[in-house]
Amino acid sequence: MQPDRTKIKLFCAAGAALLAVLAVAGLFTGKYPLTLEGMLAGDEMQLRVFWTLRASRTAVGVLGGFALGVAGFVYQTVFRNPLASPDVIGVSSGASAGAAAGILFLSGAAAVTAASFAGALAAVGLALALSALDRSGRHSTIVLAGIAVHSLAQTALMCLKLTADPERELASIEYWIMGSLNGVSGYSIGGNLALCALCVAALFLLHRQVLLLSADEGEARMLGVSVGRMRLAVLLTATLAVSCVVSLSGLISFVGLLAPHGARLLTKRSGPGTMLLGGLLGGILLTGADILARSAAAVELPVSIFTSLLGAPFLIFLIVKGRRQA
Amino acid sequence: MSFFAVENLTAGYGGRPVLDGVCFAVEPGRIVGVVGANGSGKTTLLKAVCGILPHGGSCTLEGNRLEELSPRQLAGRCGYIPQRSGIAIDVTALEVVLMGFNPQLGLLERPTPAMREQARRALAQVGLAGREEENYLHLSEGQKQLCILARTLAAGSRLLLLDEPESALDLRHRYRMLDLLRQWVGQAPGRAVLAALHDPALALNCCDRLLVLAGGRVRAVLDPAADPPQQLERQLAEVYGAISLHRCADRSGRQQLVLLKEPEGCGTIDP
Repeated sequence: MQPDRTKIKLFCAAGAALLAVLAVAGLFTGKYPLTLEGMLAGDEMQLRVFWTLRASRTAVGVLGGFALGVAGFVYQTVFRNPLASPDVIGVSSGASAGAAAGILFLSGAAAVTAASFAGALAAVGLALALSALDRSGRHSTIVLAGIAVHSLAQTALMCLKLTADPERELASIEYWIMGSLNGVSGYSIGGNLALCALCVAALFLLHRQVLLLSADEGEARMLGVSVGRMRLAVLLTATLAVSCVVSLSGLISFVGLLAPHGARLLTKRSGPGTMLLGGLLGGILLTGADILARSAAAVELPVSIFTSLLGAPFLIFLIVKGRRQA
Repeated sequence: MSFFAVENLTAGYGGRPVLDGVCFAVEPGRIVGVVGANGSGKTTLLKAVCGILPHGGSCTLEGNRLEELSPRQLAGRCGYIPQRSGIAIDVTALEVVLMGFNPQLGLLERPTPAMREQARRALAQVGLAGREEENYLHLSEGQKQLCILARTLAAGSRLLLLDEPESALDLRHRYRMLDLLRQWVGQAPGRAVLAALHDPALALNCCDRLLVLAGGRVRAVLDPAADPPQQLERQLAEVYGAISLHRCADRSGRQQLVLLKEPEGCGTIDP
């Protein structure tokens, strides 16, 4: 039974409502207690915590998760592979190596964010430059280039870890790699979130081209698509969006893989509604996981623990449900 | 000047040549079938003409070299049906047909209501009326092929390049597909079809001309309606081994060619 367009709209409306509820819950979850009365009364400390920490952290959770979901949808569609994710072309490894370099050689959270962003972009640039050496334009060339860049970035990361002070720097690198929205503040997110939002908007506008790229290369060409150029543009845009997020949050596992997969299993479609639902599921997963990371233990835990803990059973449930329906 | 001309076409895979100086022409209003044994280069020919495979020589459509056209310009003139479509994601049959309008749309434009209506009509034309919202992946292989045919017919091309489009179709739908192609060719001037066909009997009865490919070259150009059966039989026997051809009238009185496979070594039998 195919869910019709109304059902897809209902899924999206339900997803948006749940994301809104989680976002409000996220604003009021954390070590420092915030109350509506206190903020309305003009409590300066509460307002400062709200605007500089909670609001920005929630914004990164919502928009970052949304971007990871949308980018995952694009990767899975273009590569025609349900296991594809932005790491296929080495963005996460590049971001990790960049962040490690930032932790070792620079000072301040903003510098680490910038170094991680530069690392992610360098990895993507290198993967795309390597793939451009093969003029056949095959999907597999980009994947192979991504694997090569991933290995190089991992080697660089290992070398950086070897030179790190085990007490402080190595722990910081490991914590960054585990992923957390802990370091997010209003001072460091503006540019990243704006660029991320632009990239996500561009991906929605290019949705029809993304679907065309899911056909065979020859077939897509005969449908009027300049396959090499369009694939480069779409993947670069998706990867930029992801780079903006991971440079703020560290590595977030599972969201880019699970959210679009879940959306497709729910809608059985690949239209813009499914892309939107993938984004909403990504936002729900990351915001929900961040709330748990802040409240589950006395110390703040890495957010990836919860994205995996929430995501894996959900994915298994959807697969089993999908099989039964089939 | 021919409507569509292929001159000295060479192509292959990994340095191994498959086509070796292929030359032929297609006149407007014609359905030209390409027949040949497995590995004779039928698919390679279609892929080379589409520019999917790097090739030497030239393909010229109405005076324009296809090699010099952008993918968008090429898709606006030539429609292509591969042996199997590579679409492997959950999209509706209607969305698949709408993909055919891409050359007429700007990068960020969406299909218009008129295009949607045209796509629905094309689906109805190939026998998939009422299945617009069905998941393309849930259709049978034959229905998928019909859906891709609807996409190609709706797109408004001048030349259709079809790579064994009948391979997944049952007998009825094979002839239905060729009837649709005949209608399409006749609907407007300046249209033609070049189709690699797996079934030589279908090719003999539905095509205006047959290119017989063997060893990477065009061995013969046949006119099934006019050439004597002995000549057709001799040329096709070089590709398919011992065969016999017979002209028969069906119940409506239409003359058809019946192809029988004879035991190897028996030679050909006079019709």
